[in-house]
Amino acid sequence: MDAAVATRSVRIALVGVPNCGKTALFNRLTGSRQKVANYPGVTVERREGERRAADGSEMRVLDLPGTYSLNPTTLDEAITRDVLLGRVAGESSPDLVVCVVDSVHLPIGLRLALEVKRLGLPMVLALNRMDVAKKRGVHIDLAVLAKELGVAVLPTIAVKSGGADALIEAIEPRQWHSLRTGGTAAWSAPSAEQAEQTQNDLRGLLQSVGYRAPPDNRLGERLDGLLMHPIWGMLVLAGVMFLMFQAVFSWAEAPMDLIDRGMAALGAWVGGALPQGPLNSLLVDGVIAGAGGVLVFLPQIIILFFFILALEDSGYLPRAAYLLDRLMGGVGLSGRAFIPLLSSFACAIPGIMAARTIPSWRDRLTTIMIAPLMTCSARLPVYALLIAAFIPDHSVGPFNLQGLVMFALYAAGVLSALLVAWVTKLFAGARRYSPLMLELPDYQWPNASNLLLGLWERVKIFLSRVGGIILALTIILWFLSSYPAPPEGASGAPIQYSFAGRLGAALEYVFAPIGFNWQISIALVPGLAAREVAVSALGTVYALSAPGGDDVSGQLEPLIAHTWSLATACSLLAWYVFAPQCLSTLAVVKRETNSWRYPLIMAGYLFALAYLASFVTFRVVSGWT
Amino acid sequence: MKTPDSAATSARLPAATLAELPDGREGVVAGLTQVAGLDGDQASALITRLRDLGFVAGAQCKVVARMWPGGDPIAVRVGGSTFALRRAEALAVQLGAS
Repeated sequence: MDAAVATRSVRIALVGVPNCGKTALFNRLTGSRQKVANYPGVTVERREGERRAADGSEMRVLDLPGTYSLNPTTLDEAITRDVLLGRVAGESSPDLVVCVVDSVHLPIGLRLALEVKRLGLPMVLALNRMDVAKKRGVHIDLAVLAKELGVAVLPTIAVKSGGADALIEAIEPRQWHSLRTGGTAAWSAPSAEQAEQTQNDLRGLLQSVGYRAPPDNRLGERLDGLLMHPIWGMLVLAGVMFLMFQAVFSWAEAPMDLIDRGMAALGAWVGGALPQGPLNSLLVDGVIAGAGGVLVFLPQIIILFFFILALEDSGYLPRAAYLLDRLMGGVGLSGRAFIPLLSSFACAIPGIMAARTIPSWRDRLTTIMIAPLMTCSARLPVYALLIAAFIPDHSVGPFNLQGLVMFALYAAGVLSALLVAWVTKLFAGARRYSPLMLELPDYQWPNASNLLLGLWERVKIFLSRVGGIILALTIILWFLSSYPAPPEGASGAPIQYSFAGRLGAALEYVFAPIGFNWQISIALVPGLAAREVAVSALGTVYALSAPGGDDVSGQLEPLIAHTWSLATACSLLAWYVFAPQCLSTLAVVKRETNSWRYPLIMAGYLFALAYLASFVTFRVVSGWT
Repeated sequence: MKTPDSAATSARLPAATLAELPDGREGVVAGLTQVAGLDGDQASALITRLRDLGFVAGAQCKVVARMWPGGDPIAVRVGGSTFALRRAEALAVQLGAS
C-alpha cells in the first residue's frame, strides 16, 4: 500500500436520482440507520459513515441528496454537485462514485449516470431494486450495460440483508485499479446540444441492453384512480388523517393507564421508603411527578409515528402533495412545501431542513416560517393532558369526542399556517412561478423491519429526551421551586416564596389576561427549551404546591381538572397551537436562513398569535360558561 | 403563447400540449417550448428539468390523473416514471404525431 493511501482514508460517494435507494444502500454499507422512506427528498444533507475494508483500511462513505441532474435547481441538489466537483471547502472530489440507479425506473437514473460518468471519476453502477424489476418483467442485460458504459455494474437489493454484497466486494480498495473511467474532471453546465447528445446516448444504451419499460402496473393505476381523484382522493386523505388522531387517543388508553399507575405506585413507594427531606422531594416531586409525567405519553407518540412511518413508506405522501397542490398554490406555497410541512408534525427541525428541496428562496422562506405551526409531536403530551382532563370521553356518532378535539387542534394549526402564508403572499406582492415537478413513487407495502426500526428510533429519541433535557430541566425547576425556603411562620405553599414562585407571580401579570395562573406561567418558561417540559413542569409545580406534602405524582390530570376553569384550559390549548417555538427550532432557522432576522421575526409573530388566540379563546369561553 | 407551428398542428391532433392530452390517452412528445408568463431564467430552467425527467422528443406519455378545476396539477407517466406537474409545466411539453 502506498503512503498516500495509508495516511488518508478513501472517500466513496453515493449518487443517484431521488428515491432510488441511496440511503438504504448507505445503511447497508456503513451499518448506520439513517432514515429511509418512499418519497423523493428524504436526504437533504451530506451524510458520512465509515466502512472498514477487508485489508483493514478505512473507507468513508458519503450519502448525498438525490438529484435528477448535475444542473441543480434546489439547494440539496447543489450540495451533491459541489461534493462531486470537489467544490466543498477543504475537500477534493470523492475517490470513487457509486452511481445508484433504480432498475425499475432505468431511463431517468441511467441518464444521470451518463452525466456523472463524464466527470471522469472512478465509478461503479449499482442497479438497485433488481428483485422488483424482475418481478415487473424489466429485462436488463448487465454484461452489455457494463461493456457499453465501461464501468462495473452490480445488481443490488438495498432493503434486503446481504443485498449489497456484490457492491461491497466491488468497492474494496484492491479492486480499484479496474474502476478507472479515464475522463476529465472539468465540468460546466451542459449546453442544449450536449444534453441532446446525452439523450441520444441514453436511447442507444437502453436499446442495446434490451430495456423495455415495464407494463403498466394495474393495481398501482387503480389505486391512483382512487387516491388521486379530485373528490374520492380528498375524502380518503381526510379519512386517513382522522383515523390517525382517533387512534392516537383510543389505542393508547390502556398502555397509558398502565404507565400512569406504575408512576403513581413508584412515587408512593419512593415517598414512603425515603426519609422526608430534600432528596425525597427531589425524587417524588421532581423526577417522578415531572419527567415521569411525560413518560406517560410514550404510547401516543408510538402510535402517531406508526402512522407517519407507514404513510412515508407506502408512497402515498407525494400523492397527498399532489392533491393539496392547488390549495397550497392558492395561498402562495409551492406544492413541494407539503413534505417539509408534513415532516414538521414529527418535529419542526427536520421539516425546516427539508424545505431545502424547494427551489425558490421565497417559497422556501415562507415554508420555514410556517413550519412551527404544524403541531409537532412534542406538543402531543400537552394536548393529551389537557384534553384528557377537560374533554369528556363521549362518543359523537362513530367518533370519540377527545379524538375530535385533538383533530381540531391539529387542523387549527394547519389552517393558521395557510392563513399566515396567504397574508405573506398579500404583502410580498406578485410572486414568481414555482414549479412542482414531483416524482410519484411506486406504491409499496410498508416494510415491517423498516417500520419497527423507525419506531424504535423514535422511542429512543423520546426516552433520551425524557432522561436528558426534560429530566435536567425538571431538576432545575424543582430546585428553583424549592429554594429559598419560606420564612419562619409563613402561611401558604412554600413554593410561593421560591425563585420560581416569584417569577411565576411576576409573569402572572402578563398572562392573567389570557387566564393563566402562576403555575402555568412558571411552566411556560422551561417549555421553551422543550415543549413536553411544560407538562413535567406543571407536575413538579403542583406537586410542590400541594399542601401538607400530598402525593400528586401520576395525578396531575384530575388535579388540574378540579383547579382550572374550562376557559383556562382552552386558552392554554390555543396557546400551544401557536406556542412560541422551542429554542432548537429557532437555532435551526438561524442556520438555514443564515441570519438572525428570520428567527426573531418567527418568535415575535408566533408569540403575538399565541397571545391573541389565547386571549380570544379565554374571553369567549369565559363568557359562555 | 403557441408558436404558429404548433397552432397549425393542433388542428389535426387531439392535443397540442400535455396540458390538453385527454386522460388515459397516449401522447408522444414533440419538443419543449418556453411558456409565457415566466421570465427567461425560469423558463429555461423549467425546460432543462423537464428534459432531465424524460420529456424528450419521441417519449411516450400518458396522463394518469387530473385535478379539477382546471386540470391543475396533473400526474403524467413518462419513461416508466410518474410525475406531478403543474399546468404551466404541462404547457411546456408539446405533443406531436406518434
